[in-house]
Amino acid sequence: MKNNIIILGGGQAGIYAAREIRQNDTESNIKILGEENLLPYERPPLSKDFLLDKKNEEDLYFHSSDILKNENIDFENILINKVDFEHKKLFSKNEDVYTYDTLLISTGSDNKRLSLNNNLNDDVYYLRNLEEAKIIKEKVSDKNKITIIGGGFIGLEIASSLSQLQKKVTVIEIGNQLMGRIIPKQIADLVQKTHLENGNKIILNKQIDKITKKNGIYEILLSDNSLIQTDFIIAGIGSTPSVKLFENTNLKLDNGIVTNQFCETSIKDVYAAGDVCNFYHPFYERNMRLESYQHAQNHGICAGKNIAGVKTEYNSIPWMWSDQFNLNLQLTGICDDYDEIIERGNDINNGVIYFFLKNKKIRGACGVGIVGKVGRDIRITSKLTEKNTIIDKQILLDQNQKLNKLIQK
Amino acid sequence: MSEENWIEVGSIDSIEEEDLIRFDHQDKTFCVYRLTDGFYATDGICTHEAVHLEDGLVMDDEIECPMHQGIFNIKSGEALSPPACEDLKTYPVKVDNDKIFIKID
Repeated sequence: MKNNIIILGGGQAGIYAAREIRQNDTESNIKILGEENLLPYERPPLSKDFLLDKKNEEDLYFHSSDILKNENIDFENILINKVDFEHKKLFSKNEDVYTYDTLLISTGSDNKRLSLNNNLNDDVYYLRNLEEAKIIKEKVSDKNKITIIGGGFIGLEIASSLSQLQKKVTVIEIGNQLMGRIIPKQIADLVQKTHLENGNKIILNKQIDKITKKNGIYEILLSDNSLIQTDFIIAGIGSTPSVKLFENTNLKLDNGIVTNQFCETSIKDVYAAGDVCNFYHPFYERNMRLESYQHAQNHGICAGKNIAGVKTEYNSIPWMWSDQFNLNLQLTGICDDYDEIIERGNDINNGVIYFFLKNKKIRGACGVGIVGKVGRDIRITSKLTEKNTIIDKQILLDQNQKLNKLIQK
Repeated sequence: MSEENWIEVGSIDSIEEEDLIRFDHQDKTFCVYRLTDGFYATDGICTHEAVHLEDGLVMDDEIECPMHQGIFNIKSGEALSPPACEDLKTYPVKVDNDKIFIKID
Protein backbone atom coordinates (compact mmCIF):
# COMPACT_ATOMS: atom_id res chain seq x y z
CA MET A 1 0.00 0.00 0.00
CA LYS A 2 1.27 3.44 -0.86
CA ASN A 3 1.65 5.60 2.25
CA ASN A 4 2.79 9.11 2.99
CA ILE A 5 5.68 8.67 5.37
CA ILE A 6 7.12 11.76 6.99
CA ILE A 7 10.37 11.77 8.91
CA LEU A 8 10.59 14.76 11.20
CA GLY A 9 14.27 15.44 11.79
CA GLY A 10 17.07 15.44 9.22
CA GLY A 11 19.87 13.84 11.20
CA GLN A 12 21.50 10.45 11.20
CA ALA A 13 18.55 8.47 12.57
CA GLY A 14 16.24 10.09 10.02
CA ILE A 15 18.33 9.37 6.94
CA TYR A 16 19.07 5.77 7.95
CA ALA A 17 15.37 5.20 8.61
CA ALA A 18 14.46 6.68 5.23
CA ARG A 19 16.84 4.45 3.31
CA GLU A 20 15.77 1.37 5.27
CA ILE A 21 12.10 2.08 4.54
CA ARG A 22 12.94 2.42 0.86
CA GLN A 23 14.76 -0.93 0.84
CA ASN A 24 11.58 -2.61 2.04
CA ASP A 25 8.95 -0.42 0.45
CA THR A 26 9.42 0.88 -3.08
CA GLU A 27 6.01 2.55 -3.33
CA SER A 28 5.43 4.90 -0.41
CA ASN A 29 6.30 8.58 -0.45
CA ILE A 30 9.14 9.31 1.95
CA LYS A 31 9.84 12.88 2.97
CA ILE A 32 12.42 14.07 5.47
CA LEU A 33 11.76 17.45 7.08
CA GLY A 34 15.00 18.93 8.39
CA GLU A 35 15.56 22.11 10.40
CA GLU A 36 19.01 22.67 8.96
CA ASN A 37 19.37 23.52 5.30
CA LEU A 38 21.86 20.70 4.90
CA LEU A 39 21.59 17.07 3.96
CA PRO A 40 22.15 14.75 6.93
CA TYR A 41 25.79 14.86 8.02
CA GLU A 42 28.13 13.23 10.51
CA ARG A 43 28.51 15.12 13.76
CA PRO A 44 31.46 13.36 15.45
CA PRO A 45 34.12 15.15 13.35
CA LEU A 46 32.73 18.61 14.27
CA SER A 47 34.57 18.71 17.60
CA LYS A 48 37.70 17.04 16.23
CA ASP A 49 38.82 16.82 12.61
CA PHE A 50 36.63 19.72 11.47
CA LEU A 51 38.11 22.08 14.08
CA LEU A 52 41.57 20.79 13.16
CA ASP A 53 40.97 21.37 9.44
CA LYS A 54 41.52 17.68 8.69
CA LYS A 55 37.98 17.37 7.38
CA ASN A 56 35.85 19.96 5.65
CA GLU A 57 32.13 20.31 5.13
CA GLU A 58 31.99 18.12 2.02
CA ASP A 59 33.54 15.21 3.95
CA LEU A 60 30.71 15.15 6.47
CA TYR A 61 27.63 14.22 4.43
CA PHE A 62 26.30 10.70 4.86
CA HIS A 63 24.91 10.48 1.35
CA SER A 64 24.92 12.63 -1.72
CA SER A 65 21.75 14.27 -3.03
CA ASP A 66 22.01 11.86 -5.98
CA ILE A 67 21.52 8.86 -3.72
CA LEU A 68 18.43 10.42 -2.18
CA LYS A 69 17.12 11.28 -5.62
CA ASN A 70 17.76 7.75 -6.91
CA GLU A 71 15.96 6.28 -3.95
CA ASN A 72 13.13 8.74 -4.30
CA ILE A 73 13.56 10.22 -0.84
CA ASP A 74 12.51 13.87 -0.54
CA PHE A 75 14.39 16.21 1.73
CA GLU A 76 12.89 19.55 2.68
CA ASN A 77 14.36 22.25 4.86
CA ILE A 78 11.47 23.45 7.00
CA LEU A 79 10.76 24.33 10.60
CA ILE A 80 7.69 22.57 11.94
CA ASN A 81 6.08 24.36 14.84
CA LYS A 82 2.82 22.51 15.43
CA VAL A 83 1.69 18.89 15.38
CA ASP A 84 -1.85 17.56 15.22
CA PHE A 85 -1.59 13.84 15.92
CA GLU A 86 -5.34 13.33 15.78
CA HIS A 87 -5.58 14.49 12.16
CA LYS A 88 -2.06 13.35 11.25
CA LYS A 89 -0.84 16.78 10.25
CA LEU A 90 2.26 18.89 10.78
CA PHE A 91 2.28 22.66 10.37
CA SER A 92 5.16 24.92 9.52
CA LYS A 93 5.62 28.46 10.72
CA ASN A 94 4.24 29.68 7.38
CA GLU A 95 1.14 27.50 7.79
CA ASP A 96 2.29 24.92 5.26
CA VAL A 97 0.53 21.65 6.06
CA TYR A 98 2.13 18.22 5.80
CA THR A 99 -0.19 15.22 6.05
CA TYR A 100 1.18 11.82 6.95
CA ASP A 101 -0.03 8.25 7.26
CA THR A 102 3.03 7.29 9.26
CA LEU A 103 5.31 9.66 11.15
CA LEU A 104 8.82 9.06 12.41
CA ILE A 105 10.13 11.58 14.92
CA SER A 106 13.91 11.86 14.90
CA THR A 107 14.37 15.37 16.20
CA GLY A 108 17.49 14.51 18.21
CA SER A 109 18.57 16.51 21.22
CA ASP A 110 19.38 20.09 22.14
CA ASN A 111 22.26 21.46 24.16
CA LYS A 112 21.54 22.47 27.72
CA ARG A 113 22.35 26.11 28.16
CA LEU A 114 23.91 27.94 31.07
CA SER A 115 21.68 30.57 32.53
CA LEU A 116 23.74 33.57 33.44
CA ASN A 117 22.27 36.44 35.37
CA ASN A 118 23.58 39.08 33.03
CA ASN A 119 23.65 39.83 29.36
CA LEU A 120 26.51 37.43 28.61
CA ASN A 121 24.39 34.47 27.53
CA ASP A 122 25.30 35.10 23.89
CA ASP A 123 28.98 35.21 24.79
CA VAL A 124 29.00 31.51 25.63
CA TYR A 125 29.34 29.20 22.61
CA TYR A 126 27.98 25.69 22.15
CA LEU A 127 28.71 22.99 19.61
CA ARG A 128 26.09 20.67 18.18
CA ASN A 129 25.72 21.52 14.52
CA LEU A 130 27.91 22.47 11.60
CA GLU A 131 27.05 26.16 11.82
CA GLU A 132 28.12 26.30 15.46
CA ALA A 133 31.34 24.44 14.65
CA LYS A 134 32.12 26.95 11.90
CA ILE A 135 31.53 29.87 14.26
CA ILE A 136 33.74 28.39 16.99
CA LYS A 137 36.48 27.60 14.48
CA GLU A 138 36.47 31.15 13.21
CA LYS A 139 36.18 32.86 16.60
CA VAL A 140 38.96 30.94 18.34
CA SER A 141 41.44 31.60 15.56
CA ASP A 142 42.71 34.82 17.15
CA LYS A 143 42.10 33.83 20.78
CA ASN A 144 44.60 32.33 23.17
CA LYS A 145 43.01 31.39 26.49
CA ILE A 146 39.91 29.25 26.05
CA THR A 147 37.72 28.01 28.88
CA ILE A 148 35.43 25.05 28.47
CA ILE A 149 32.60 24.62 30.92
CA GLY A 150 31.73 20.96 31.29
CA GLY A 151 34.09 17.98 31.33
CA GLY A 152 31.99 15.59 29.26
CA PHE A 153 32.78 14.07 25.86
CA ILE A 154 32.11 17.17 23.81
CA GLY A 155 33.98 19.53 26.13
CA LEU A 156 37.00 17.27 26.32
CA GLU A 157 37.10 16.63 22.57
CA ILE A 158 37.04 20.38 21.94
CA ALA A 159 39.70 20.81 24.66
CA SER A 160 41.87 18.25 22.88
CA SER A 161 41.42 19.89 19.47
CA LEU A 162 42.07 23.43 20.73
CA SER A 163 45.14 22.28 22.61
CA GLN A 164 46.43 20.86 19.34
CA LEU A 165 45.81 24.32 17.86
CA GLN A 166 48.22 25.66 20.54
CA LYS A 167 45.50 27.26 22.68
CA LYS A 168 45.74 27.47 26.46
CA VAL A 169 42.71 25.44 27.53
CA THR A 170 41.00 25.21 30.91
CA VAL A 171 38.17 22.76 31.54
CA ILE A 172 35.83 23.37 34.46
CA GLU A 173 33.74 20.43 35.63
CA ILE A 174 31.17 20.52 38.39
CA GLY A 175 31.53 16.80 39.26
CA ASN A 176 34.40 15.01 40.95
CA GLN A 177 35.57 13.32 37.75
CA LEU A 178 35.50 13.87 34.00
CA MET A 179 32.75 12.26 31.87
CA GLY A 180 31.03 11.24 35.10
CA ARG A 181 27.62 10.55 33.63
CA ILE A 182 28.64 7.28 31.97
CA ILE A 183 32.40 6.69 32.14
CA PRO A 184 33.93 4.82 35.10
CA LYS A 185 36.29 6.93 37.21
CA GLN A 186 39.27 4.65 36.54
CA ILE A 187 39.07 5.37 32.81
CA ALA A 188 38.25 9.06 33.29
CA ASP A 189 41.38 9.49 35.40
CA LEU A 190 43.56 8.07 32.61
CA VAL A 191 42.01 10.49 30.12
CA GLN A 192 42.50 13.37 32.55
CA LYS A 193 46.20 12.49 32.87
CA THR A 194 46.61 12.78 29.10
CA HIS A 195 44.94 16.20 29.07
CA LEU A 196 47.27 17.40 31.83
CA GLU A 197 50.32 16.02 30.04
CA ASN A 198 49.29 18.00 26.98
CA GLY A 199 49.08 21.21 28.96
CA ASN A 200 45.33 21.47 29.53
CA LYS A 201 44.17 22.61 32.92
CA ILE A 202 41.37 20.59 34.51
CA ILE A 203 39.35 21.96 37.42
CA LEU A 204 36.98 19.52 39.13
CA ASN A 205 34.32 19.98 41.82
CA LYS A 206 33.75 23.65 41.05
CA GLN A 207 30.64 25.54 40.12
CA ILE A 208 30.52 28.75 38.14
CA ASP A 209 29.32 31.52 40.44
CA LYS A 210 29.57 34.43 38.05
CA ILE A 211 30.94 35.45 34.68
CA THR A 212 31.82 39.07 33.98
CA LYS A 213 33.46 40.82 31.04
CA LYS A 214 36.06 43.57 31.31
CA ASN A 215 37.88 45.08 28.33
CA GLY A 216 37.09 42.09 26.15
CA ILE A 217 38.37 39.59 28.74
CA TYR A 218 36.02 37.30 30.67
CA GLU A 219 36.41 36.64 34.36
CA ILE A 220 34.88 33.44 35.67
CA LEU A 221 34.35 33.34 39.40
CA LEU A 222 34.26 29.81 40.78
CA SER A 223 32.56 28.51 43.91
CA ASP A 224 35.85 28.53 45.86
CA ASN A 225 36.30 32.23 45.01
CA SER A 226 39.08 31.53 42.53
CA LEU A 227 39.04 33.59 39.36
CA ILE A 228 39.82 32.48 35.82
CA GLN A 229 40.55 34.96 33.07
CA THR A 230 39.78 33.83 29.58
CA ASP A 231 39.38 35.10 26.02
CA PHE A 232 36.59 32.74 24.96
CA ILE A 233 34.04 30.46 26.61
CA ILE A 234 32.53 27.25 25.27
CA ALA A 235 30.02 25.21 27.24
CA GLY A 236 29.20 21.52 26.87
CA ILE A 237 26.98 20.69 29.80
CA GLY A 238 24.79 17.95 28.42
CA SER A 239 21.72 17.75 26.30
CA THR A 240 18.00 17.29 26.49
CA PRO A 241 15.73 15.45 24.04
CA SER A 242 14.15 17.78 21.46
CA VAL A 243 10.53 17.36 22.47
CA LYS A 244 9.30 20.92 22.88
CA LEU A 245 6.97 20.50 19.92
CA PHE A 246 5.14 17.63 21.64
CA GLU A 247 4.81 19.01 25.16
CA ASN A 248 1.11 19.79 24.95
CA THR A 249 0.10 16.71 23.00
CA ASN A 250 -0.92 13.16 23.92
CA LEU A 251 2.50 11.80 23.04
CA LYS A 252 3.95 10.09 26.09
CA LEU A 253 7.12 11.85 27.22
CA ASP A 254 9.50 10.95 30.03
CA ASN A 255 13.10 12.04 29.48
CA GLY A 256 12.34 11.90 25.77
CA ILE A 257 9.67 10.20 23.71
CA VAL A 258 8.81 6.89 25.32
CA THR A 259 9.05 4.05 22.81
CA ASN A 260 8.87 0.27 23.02
CA GLN A 261 11.40 -2.12 21.50
CA PHE A 262 9.80 -1.63 18.07
CA CYS A 263 10.32 2.17 18.08
CA GLU A 264 6.57 2.64 18.51
CA THR A 265 5.39 5.61 20.59
CA SER A 266 2.19 5.87 22.61
CA ILE A 267 0.35 7.10 19.49
CA LYS A 268 -0.59 4.76 16.67
CA ASP A 269 1.39 5.24 13.44
CA VAL A 270 3.88 7.49 15.19
CA TYR A 271 7.39 6.13 15.64
CA ALA A 272 10.51 7.70 17.11
CA ALA A 273 14.23 6.98 16.80
CA GLY A 274 17.60 8.24 17.97
CA ASP A 275 18.60 10.70 20.70
CA VAL A 276 15.02 11.86 21.24
CA CYS A 277 13.82 8.46 22.48
CA ASN A 278 13.66 6.96 25.89
CA PHE A 279 13.37 3.45 24.49
CA TYR A 280 12.82 0.03 26.01
CA HIS A 281 15.86 -2.21 25.66
CA PRO A 282 14.76 -5.84 25.93
CA PHE A 283 18.26 -7.17 26.66
CA TYR A 284 18.77 -4.89 29.65
CA GLU A 285 15.04 -5.00 30.48
CA ARG A 286 14.87 -1.27 31.08
CA ASN A 287 14.33 2.03 29.33
CA MET A 288 17.28 4.14 28.32
CA ARG A 289 18.14 7.19 26.29
CA LEU A 290 21.36 7.16 24.29
CA GLU A 291 23.20 9.86 22.39
CA SER A 292 25.64 8.14 20.10
CA TYR A 293 26.53 7.62 16.48
CA GLN A 294 25.91 3.87 16.50
CA HIS A 295 22.58 4.26 18.25
CA ALA A 296 21.32 6.96 15.90
CA GLN A 297 22.17 4.76 12.93
CA ASN A 298 20.88 1.42 14.23
CA HIS A 299 17.79 2.83 15.90
CA GLY A 300 16.95 4.66 12.67
CA ILE A 301 17.35 1.43 10.71
CA CYS A 302 15.20 -0.46 13.20
CA ALA A 303 12.46 2.19 13.01
CA GLY A 304 12.65 2.03 9.21
CA LYS A 305 12.10 -1.72 9.21
CA ASN A 306 9.13 -1.47 11.56
CA ILE A 307 7.57 1.36 9.57
CA ALA A 308 7.92 -0.76 6.43
CA GLY A 309 6.15 -3.64 8.16
CA VAL A 310 9.19 -5.77 8.99
CA LYS A 311 8.61 -6.24 12.72
CA THR A 312 12.05 -5.90 14.33
CA GLU A 313 13.06 -5.64 17.96
CA TYR A 314 15.80 -3.16 18.86
CA ASN A 315 18.37 -5.16 20.75
CA SER A 316 21.59 -3.44 19.80
CA ILE A 317 24.22 -3.45 22.56
CA PRO A 318 25.14 0.23 23.09
CA TRP A 319 28.53 1.34 21.83
CA MET A 320 30.20 4.71 21.71
CA TRP A 321 33.61 6.26 21.32
CA SER A 322 35.47 9.46 21.99
CA ASP A 323 38.78 10.54 20.48
CA GLN A 324 40.97 12.90 22.51
CA PHE A 325 44.61 13.59 21.65
CA ASN A 326 46.08 10.21 20.64
CA LEU A 327 43.55 8.29 22.74
CA ASN A 328 40.53 6.35 21.62
CA LEU A 329 38.00 5.66 24.36
CA GLN A 330 35.22 3.14 23.84
CA LEU A 331 32.27 1.98 25.84
CA THR A 332 29.99 -0.94 25.21
CA GLY A 333 26.86 -2.01 27.06
CA ILE A 334 26.05 -0.38 30.37
CA CYS A 335 28.54 0.04 33.20
CA ASP A 336 26.26 1.02 36.07
CA ASP A 337 24.69 -2.31 36.99
CA TYR A 338 27.27 -4.87 38.12
CA ASP A 339 28.51 -7.04 40.99
CA GLU A 340 32.11 -7.40 39.83
CA ILE A 341 34.73 -5.34 37.99
CA ILE A 342 37.64 -6.93 36.10
CA GLU A 343 40.60 -4.92 34.86
CA ARG A 344 42.48 -5.92 31.73
CA GLY A 345 45.82 -4.18 31.21
CA ASN A 346 47.34 -1.28 33.09
CA ASP A 347 49.25 0.62 30.43
CA ILE A 348 47.48 3.11 28.22
CA ASN A 349 49.93 2.29 25.39
CA ASN A 350 48.52 -1.24 25.22
CA GLY A 351 44.98 -0.31 26.25
CA VAL A 352 43.19 -0.60 29.57
CA ILE A 353 39.70 -2.06 29.82
CA TYR A 354 37.35 -2.40 32.77
CA PHE A 355 34.66 -5.05 32.45
CA PHE A 356 31.47 -4.78 34.45
CA LEU A 357 29.93 -8.16 35.22
CA LYS A 358 26.74 -9.33 36.84
CA ASN A 359 26.20 -12.99 37.64
CA LYS A 360 29.45 -13.80 35.77
CA LYS A 361 28.14 -12.28 32.55
CA ILE A 362 29.42 -9.05 31.04
CA ARG A 363 26.95 -6.15 31.15
CA GLY A 364 29.32 -3.53 29.84
CA ALA A 365 32.93 -2.52 29.41
CA CYS A 366 34.86 0.67 29.04
CA GLY A 367 38.38 1.01 27.74
CA VAL A 368 40.90 3.57 26.68
CA GLY A 369 44.23 3.35 24.93
CA ILE A 370 46.40 4.75 22.22
CA VAL A 371 44.32 4.73 19.03
CA GLY A 372 43.55 1.17 17.91
CA LYS A 373 44.41 -0.60 21.15
CA VAL A 374 41.00 -1.25 22.70
CA GLY A 375 38.62 -1.45 19.75
CA ARG A 376 38.97 -5.15 18.98
CA ASP A 377 38.48 -6.24 22.58
CA ILE A 378 35.55 -3.88 23.06
CA ARG A 379 33.92 -5.23 19.90
CA ILE A 380 34.37 -8.82 21.05
CA THR A 381 32.96 -7.77 24.41
CA SER A 382 29.78 -6.52 22.72
CA LYS A 383 29.37 -9.94 21.16
CA LEU A 384 30.01 -11.74 24.46
CA THR A 385 27.49 -9.47 26.15
CA GLU A 386 24.89 -10.06 23.47
CA LYS A 387 25.32 -13.83 23.75
CA ASN A 388 25.12 -13.80 27.55
CA THR A 389 28.37 -15.74 27.68
CA ILE A 390 29.52 -17.00 31.10
CA ILE A 391 33.01 -15.59 31.29
CA ASP A 392 36.34 -17.23 32.09
CA LYS A 393 37.80 -14.42 34.17
CA GLN A 394 41.39 -15.55 33.72
CA ILE A 395 41.17 -14.79 30.01
CA LEU A 396 39.60 -11.37 30.65
CA LEU A 397 42.33 -10.48 33.13
CA ASP A 398 45.24 -11.52 30.98
CA GLN A 399 46.03 -9.19 28.11
CA ASN A 400 48.21 -11.88 26.52
CA GLN A 401 45.18 -14.08 25.97
CA LYS A 402 42.97 -13.18 23.04
CA LEU A 403 39.35 -12.52 23.85
CA ASN A 404 38.07 -14.24 20.73
CA LYS A 405 38.88 -17.49 22.56
CA LEU A 406 35.83 -16.70 24.65
CA ILE A 407 33.59 -16.33 21.61
CA GLN A 408 34.62 -19.62 20.09
CA LYS A 409 33.74 -21.62 23.21
CA MET B 1 52.57 -8.37 -14.29
CA SER B 2 56.27 -8.25 -13.71
CA GLU B 3 57.75 -10.77 -11.28
CA GLU B 4 59.70 -8.19 -9.31
CA ASN B 5 56.57 -6.61 -7.89
CA TRP B 6 55.83 -9.70 -5.78
CA ILE B 7 57.11 -8.89 -2.32
CA GLU B 8 57.68 -11.58 0.30
CA VAL B 9 55.64 -11.05 3.44
CA GLY B 10 56.73 -14.06 5.49
CA SER B 11 55.88 -17.66 6.20
CA ILE B 12 52.28 -18.87 6.12
CA ASP B 13 52.68 -19.86 9.77
CA SER B 14 53.15 -16.21 10.72
CA ILE B 15 49.38 -15.63 10.51
CA GLU B 16 46.78 -17.54 12.49
CA GLU B 17 43.56 -18.46 10.74
CA GLU B 18 40.91 -15.68 10.85
CA ASP B 19 43.64 -13.21 11.74
CA LEU B 20 45.97 -10.72 10.12
CA ILE B 21 49.45 -9.28 10.34
CA ARG B 22 50.75 -5.87 9.49
CA PHE B 23 53.31 -5.68 6.70
CA ASP B 24 55.35 -2.57 5.98
CA HIS B 25 57.20 -2.11 2.73
CA GLN B 26 59.11 1.03 1.82
CA ASP B 27 56.78 3.87 2.79
CA LYS B 28 53.58 1.84 2.57
CA THR B 29 51.78 -0.31 5.08
CA PHE B 30 49.47 -3.26 4.46
CA CYS B 31 47.37 -5.87 6.23
CA VAL B 32 47.79 -9.49 5.19
CA TYR B 33 44.99 -11.82 6.23
CA ARG B 34 44.60 -15.55 6.57
CA LEU B 35 40.99 -16.58 6.03
CA THR B 36 39.62 -20.11 5.90
CA ASP B 37 40.02 -20.23 2.13
CA GLY B 38 43.36 -18.49 1.70
CA PHE B 39 45.44 -15.35 2.08
CA TYR B 40 44.43 -11.79 1.20
CA ALA B 41 45.95 -8.32 1.43
CA THR B 42 44.62 -4.79 1.73
CA ASP B 43 45.94 -1.34 2.50
CA GLY B 44 46.82 -1.08 6.17
CA ILE B 45 45.14 2.22 6.99
CA CYS B 46 41.38 2.61 7.36
CA THR B 47 39.84 4.84 4.69
CA HIS B 48 37.77 6.68 7.30
CA GLU B 49 40.44 7.96 9.67
CA ALA B 50 44.15 7.39 9.89
CA VAL B 51 44.23 4.28 12.04
CA HIS B 52 45.94 1.00 11.23
CA LEU B 53 43.67 -1.97 10.74
CA GLU B 54 46.23 -4.35 12.30
CA ASP B 55 44.35 -4.05 15.60
CA GLY B 56 40.97 -4.63 13.96
CA LEU B 57 38.74 -7.64 14.30
CA VAL B 58 38.65 -10.24 11.52
CA MET B 59 35.31 -12.02 11.27
CA ASP B 60 34.57 -14.31 8.35
CA ASP B 61 35.53 -12.24 5.29
CA GLU B 62 35.39 -8.90 7.06
CA ILE B 63 37.80 -6.60 8.83
CA GLU B 64 36.38 -4.17 11.34
CA CYS B 65 38.31 -1.00 12.15
CA PRO B 66 39.24 -0.82 15.85
CA MET B 67 38.58 2.91 16.07
CA HIS B 68 35.05 3.48 14.80
CA GLN B 69 33.85 0.02 13.70
CA GLY B 70 33.83 0.74 9.99
CA ILE B 71 33.67 -2.66 8.24
CA PHE B 72 35.33 -3.71 4.96
CA ASN B 73 35.13 -6.88 2.92
CA ILE B 74 38.68 -8.24 2.96
CA LYS B 75 38.42 -9.88 -0.46
CA SER B 76 36.89 -6.98 -2.38
CA GLY B 77 37.83 -4.06 -0.13
CA GLU B 78 34.23 -2.86 -0.22
CA ALA B 79 33.21 -0.53 2.63
CA LEU B 80 30.24 -2.34 4.20
CA SER B 81 29.33 -0.30 7.24
CA PRO B 82 29.55 3.38 8.20
CA PRO B 83 31.42 5.43 9.21
CA ALA B 84 33.61 3.92 6.48
CA CYS B 85 32.29 4.77 3.03
CA GLU B 86 35.38 4.67 0.82
CA ASP B 87 36.56 1.20 -0.27
CA LEU B 88 39.85 -0.26 0.91
CA LYS B 89 42.43 -1.07 -1.76
CA THR B 90 43.19 -4.78 -2.15
CA TYR B 91 46.32 -6.51 -3.50
CA PRO B 92 46.92 -9.91 -5.14
CA VAL B 93 48.48 -12.54 -2.88
CA LYS B 94 50.21 -15.80 -3.75
CA VAL B 95 51.75 -18.58 -1.71
CA ASP B 96 54.92 -20.22 -2.92
CA ASN B 97 56.86 -22.80 -0.87
CA ASP B 98 54.89 -21.88 2.24
CA LYS B 99 55.81 -18.25 1.83
CA ILE B 100 53.30 -15.45 1.30
CA PHE B 101 53.87 -12.82 -1.40
CA ILE B 102 51.84 -9.74 -2.22
CA LYS B 103 51.91 -7.86 -5.46
CA ILE B 104 52.34 -4.15 -4.92
CA ASP B 105 51.70 -1.87 -7.85
